[in-house]
Amino acid sequence: MSMNPSVTIRRLATGVPGLDEILGGGLPEFSFNLISGPPGSGKTTLAHQIMFALATPERPALFITVLGEPPLKMLRYQQQFSFFDSARIGDSVRFVNLNDELATGDFEQVLERITLEVASTSPALVFVDSFRAVLLDAARPGAQSGNLQHFVQQLGVQLSAWQATTFLIGEYQAPTDDHPVFTVADGLLALRQTVHRNSMVRQIQILKMRGQATSPGVHTFRITGAGVEIFPSAIVRDDSVNTADRSPSPARGGRRMTMGVPRLDAMLGGGLPAGFSLLVAGPSGSGKTLLATAFLAEGVRCGEPGVMVAFEQTPSQSLNPAIDDMVRAGTIGLINTRSMDLSIDEIVHHLIGMIRRMRARRIVIDSLSGFELAVAPAFREDFRESLFRMVAALSSMGVTVLVTSELEDRYTDLRFSPYGSAFLTDAIIVQRYIEIESGLQRVLAVVKVRDSPHSSEIRQFTITEGGIVIGDPLSAYEGLLGGSPQFATEGPDGVTGRTTAPLL
Amino acid sequence: MTDTSEDARRQAIRQALSRSVGTDSGAAALAAAFFGLWQQTARQLEPVIGARGVDVLFGRALHLTSRRFPWLPTTGHGNSTASLYVFQTCLAGRSAPEVSDAGETLLLAFTGLLAGMVGEPLTGRLLGAAWTVREPDTLPQPQTQTQTQTQS
Repeated sequence: MSMNPSVTIRRLATGVPGLDEILGGGLPEFSFNLISGPPGSGKTTLAHQIMFALATPERPALFITVLGEPPLKMLRYQQQFSFFDSARIGDSVRFVNLNDELATGDFEQVLERITLEVASTSPALVFVDSFRAVLLDAARPGAQSGNLQHFVQQLGVQLSAWQATTFLIGEYQAPTDDHPVFTVADGLLALRQTVHRNSMVRQIQILKMRGQATSPGVHTFRITGAGVEIFPSAIVRDDSVNTADRSPSPARGGRRMTMGVPRLDAMLGGGLPAGFSLLVAGPSGSGKTLLATAFLAEGVRCGEPGVMVAFEQTPSQSLNPAIDDMVRAGTIGLINTRSMDLSIDEIVHHLIGMIRRMRARRIVIDSLSGFELAVAPAFREDFRESLFRMVAALSSMGVTVLVTSELEDRYTDLRFSPYGSAFLTDAIIVQRYIEIESGLQRVLAVVKVRDSPHSSEIRQFTITEGGIVIGDPLSAYEGLLGGSPQFATEGPDGVTGRTTAPLL
Repeated sequence: MTDTSEDARRQAIRQALSRSVGTDSGAAALAAAFFGLWQQTARQLEPVIGARGVDVLFGRALHLTSRRFPWLPTTGHGNSTASLYVFQTCLAGRSAPEVSDAGETLLLAFTGLLAGMVGEPLTGRLLGAAWTVREPDTLPQPQTQTQTQTQS
């Protein structure tokens, strides 16, 4: 007889967008979990959301309130969330309040009552909310903290043995809190919120989940009328391991994509390789958005849907007519956010969702400068690293990405990105202003196309009603990017000389 | 709170009380029926919102009710059981219509406060079992004033 000695652990779908993903595939059935976090961090909301997602008449839930917020208040505010379904209270969800028992300070009595409640209804899900006041009470002078420790440990042990998936909700200072319950718990979900300047950021971290590989790191989340939504941090895949498990990146660098700007494809060596990321850097008004628009319009023409991520800060400010038309026609998707407290992961989450919905092949992020402003101050420190993760995540989907970047014209050095992030992208086009005959002219150059020959010419270009028109190489000039452009002349002996007509 | 939902609760209170008193429409029977319904209501709610939650709502309901019935106590007495005892004492000697009116008003105020806090649908769910129409023989036996005094 063949036997499989390993137990199969079922994983429950929590109903919280993003949570199953960071848990490593859902919540292990019969696990004992701690949800910790400071007041207002969303512990009860998260617990309720999980409860209403999982509870059924066959799999009932018991929600025990112990000295947390008054139950009346909890019910009042929690039902503002769309997941709260009053009709399921009674059959699927049962609330029990044990404030009165705990007021006596007799933890044994509380434990007994909890045991009684669980035994009488055999719930599949048990929530105990919360133990903040108990812990505070235990910390006061003269309190019998030994009793409390015993109580919490007993509760943990009991909860683990009840064939129920259980949650203890409290304001523990995990993971520094040296509390025995942390040892007993199978899962530790730590919530926190930080206020930086004028923005608030909510974050969740799975500190522990026995038996499964969780998504490491800190993930941001938002609480809306629908409840908690987690934006799993984009994870950069390690190409050196598990290559057999990886789905091949679709045609990265193989096919070339046309840019929708005459002569630019030739400059790029035959178009932009599919799956590449392209940085278009240039000063304000140089035509970056126009180039990006042409890239998207060309995609529409070729049957390649696109998505534009814009960061226009003025609500009434329209993007440009071509973008507006394509959005209205549904041929491209638009994510235009004016929020000032975003995490990059949140943007990436929305972007990936739209890419999948629209089967998009071309992505435009316009611009990094707007992006940085929209990101909550707390994330700006890691902006560069987050950009790297974002580009990697998009790259792994095989989409082709065009990112614009505001770049102050400098004529003393050559820079492509204010973030030092030019190396992140596979290709770079730089735009600059130059002065010719007392007039501002625009030039562009292809600086880099990874693993591909490309033009090294600096071309003048103009912006017309029809879009960007690229002219011939400015071979008559040299030093265009160096700060001392010179009009190059050919001397009688055929040797190139220089005039004294500095451009800027 | 809409009139419709208040009317529905009023209707539910009247049905529960009338089934409880049966054919006896005397003041004492009405008071006992009211007391029985209140006990069921409190028993249903206490596990969910806690005894303290029930006390607070009852105290407030009593305060609101006393505006219409000056002969009622204006505030609660620590907990709902004690307050209810005082309320019952005040009912003694009152006519049947007065008892019926005051009892209904108190329960209506109480459920109105609850609905104001957690909404009508949830109030309906929470009170559902307590106010389920039951046969008179399964109802708790009306308690006399003496019994109540002994308990308190």
